[in-house]
Amino acid sequence: MNGTAALALAPLTRARDALYDLAGTMGQMGIVAARIVLRLVHVDLDGRELLRNLYKMGVKSLPIVVVTALFTGAIMVIQAAPIVQRYGAQGLLGWGAGFGTLREIGPLLTALMISGRVGANNTAELGTMTVTEQIDALRALAIDPVAFLVVPRFIAIVATLFFSTLYADALALFGAAYAGDALIGVEPMTFYNGLVSGLLGIGDVMNGLVKSVIFGIMIGLSSCHFGLSVTGGAPGVGRAVNATVVTSAAGIFVVDYLVSFLLG
Amino acid sequence: MTDSAFEIERQDSGALAVVGRRAMSLAAAAREQYGVLVRTLYYVARGKMEPGMLAHQMYEIGNRSLFFLTVVMGFIGTILCLQAGIQTKRVVPDLSMLGASYLELLVRDLAASIVALMLATRVGAGIAAEIGSMVVTEQVDALRMCAADPIDYLVKPRFLASIVMTTALTIWSGGVAIVTGTITADVVFQVSPHTFWNLSLVHASDLLICIVKCLAYGAAIPIVSATSGLSTFGGSEGVGWATTRAVVNSSLAVIILNFLISSAGFFAFHGR
Amino acid sequence: MISFRNVCKSFGSKAVLNDVSFDIEDGEIFFIIGASGVGKSVLIKHLIGLLRPDAGDILLDGDEVSRFDEKAMYPVRRKCAMVFQHSTLFDSMTCVENVALPLRKHQGMKPREALAAAKERLAQVHMQEFGDRFPAELGDGMKKRVAIARALTLEPRYVLFDEPTTSLDLVSARRVDNLIRELSEELGVTSVVVSHDLVSIFSIATRIAMLYKGGVRLLGTPADFKNTKDELIQQFIHGRAQGPMET
Repeated sequence: MNGTAALALAPLTRARDALYDLAGTMGQMGIVAARIVLRLVHVDLDGRELLRNLYKMGVKSLPIVVVTALFTGAIMVIQAAPIVQRYGAQGLLGWGAGFGTLREIGPLLTALMISGRVGANNTAELGTMTVTEQIDALRALAIDPVAFLVVPRFIAIVATLFFSTLYADALALFGAAYAGDALIGVEPMTFYNGLVSGLLGIGDVMNGLVKSVIFGIMIGLSSCHFGLSVTGGAPGVGRAVNATVVTSAAGIFVVDYLVSFLLG
Repeated sequence: MTDSAFEIERQDSGALAVVGRRAMSLAAAAREQYGVLVRTLYYVARGKMEPGMLAHQMYEIGNRSLFFLTVVMGFIGTILCLQAGIQTKRVVPDLSMLGASYLELLVRDLAASIVALMLATRVGAGIAAEIGSMVVTEQVDALRMCAADPIDYLVKPRFLASIVMTTALTIWSGGVAIVTGTITADVVFQVSPHTFWNLSLVHASDLLICIVKCLAYGAAIPIVSATSGLSTFGGSEGVGWATTRAVVNSSLAVIILNFLISSAGFFAFHGR
Repeated sequence: MISFRNVCKSFGSKAVLNDVSFDIEDGEIFFIIGASGVGKSVLIKHLIGLLRPDAGDILLDGDEVSRFDEKAMYPVRRKCAMVFQHSTLFDSMTCVENVALPLRKHQGMKPREALAAAKERLAQVHMQEFGDRFPAELGDGMKKRVAIARALTLEPRYVLFDEPTTSLDLVSARRVDNLIRELSEELGVTSVVVSHDLVSIFSIATRIAMLYKGGVRLLGTPADFKNTKDELIQQFIHGRAQGPMET
């Protein structure tokens, strides 16, 4: 292929390479998933590591989740407010902010923030352990690294995401209620009525929670995979963290689409 | 803004001490960010730049994120349209204003904010990892020895490139989202593209808010990530922690800026 | 007893080990020496299955460990422990927890019992006051001793040391040498030491094998090495810059 034609097709070539990379990564994450499932089925995991990670990840994410949720609630209200004012439907503010939060924004933003806080952290830890031969040291002590390190962290990430989303949903709606009062004078009571008026149901909450579990699986697999496959010392760890957050973010949106489409 | 990974857990743990310590580290972090911002702006006004540096950074930030953002915004477009349609149908059976509200929301908030959040992860991590590695391998110290301020040499090009590219990418991504949104509206809700492309609700004020957001996010992400990168410590392990901090803090910065700009926009253009 | 039979290993196009064969008798302190990058660490990693040979056999107590899969290697790894070059303690645990880990995992001890047993092990390497510190807080020499304590928890018959004195100051290095000698004299452990520390080599080694360009250049006692006519070996053991050796 001559020079100019190659140059013109460069974006396509890049896209093709990106797709190949993507397929490769998906495959490897599938392998990690299979190894995890195998050990889960035999309940082969380290209990102490599980508890330690649950505590560490849960505590680490709490401030981020709180801040994000409160601000998000306020932003939701700000965006919904003009629409509500246009139709003069103050009573519907609860619904307006609510459906966005419960179905999409709550799970999505919580997942993105936790992917950054917990996912990146996990990759950094596992990556550093890989680079300093601690994984080999575990194998030399005849301890299975997947059962000892990966499975507890995976479960902890999924659990953290589930409970954080629950918590974030509540906080965001709380923040939204008070923002609604402060900004456009909608009483919290009216907001609350709008929420429970029957336009939103438990189905919307469940929709968001199912998503959060799947996002958790996504973040867990991605962070463990990239952490354990680090090569090249310190810059390699930085690259792995980069790869984790990018893959998680893209994966979250793709999965979000699929779940939204399937669950309706 | 967030804890250092090396915080030893043997300090006072009374509630007041914990809150106080948090507040003080928050204040210190804020001061550091502010310092980096001020020095960057100084160098934008004054310093020289290597030829090609800006273009290189713009390529790194813009072109390298293109595929990722296109995919993400494509999906966002459909999801947004899907959810809006489902919910609106519960209240009002007529979907003729679907496109109008969709476009309004996209321009006023979502295009800029989602692009920024995605860039916060991709670009934020990248900048922190690069600068962090340089700190750890003492290249930054070497720069100082050559009487070059790291802020001038490292941060300034990324700062300018990010502002330009965030705006460009937001425009592109908005376009992608509109395309996928239109397709979804047509296929799922039988709303014709003609009805969907209703710009009646998109005002100049919305465009202004969008531009302000692009500029603010574009400025914030490199400043926050570069600060994390420059404060890397702890040897090679520190690079991973710096990257994590950059991603989290950049994302938080985007959310807080979103809130501030949206509130300001609301009060300015919609009143009480 | 450990036997290497015609072991070959390449990484890509680079042949690191080419038909390496020798035996290690029980109770010996056996040194594998050579220049940096010649393949010493690669060789001992084969013994516990962290690497697999491209060709050849490796026998440990009569078992052909080169053919074992990961699961089958577990009993081998309990018999044959390894102390890594960078000590490789787990950063997230204190020293005593590091040492207690194998006890918890393999002997099913309750946490409290395991910690008590671990403290005794730390006392054996004179590190008992540092039990509650994290590895990041210790110097290299101290970390090395904790790593040795951890390797000894399951009472292995073989211990592999990957460059145990390389990053240590001279005093710490001699302490580690003494520990290795104590292991052999008091516990009957067979030690395989990868090293290029000449002082260690000539103070505690029973026998030495020198690797050069993928093969064994000489196998013998320290006296054999001191008295050899081989120019290359003389260059290495006297640390001369000039000579036939290519690095």
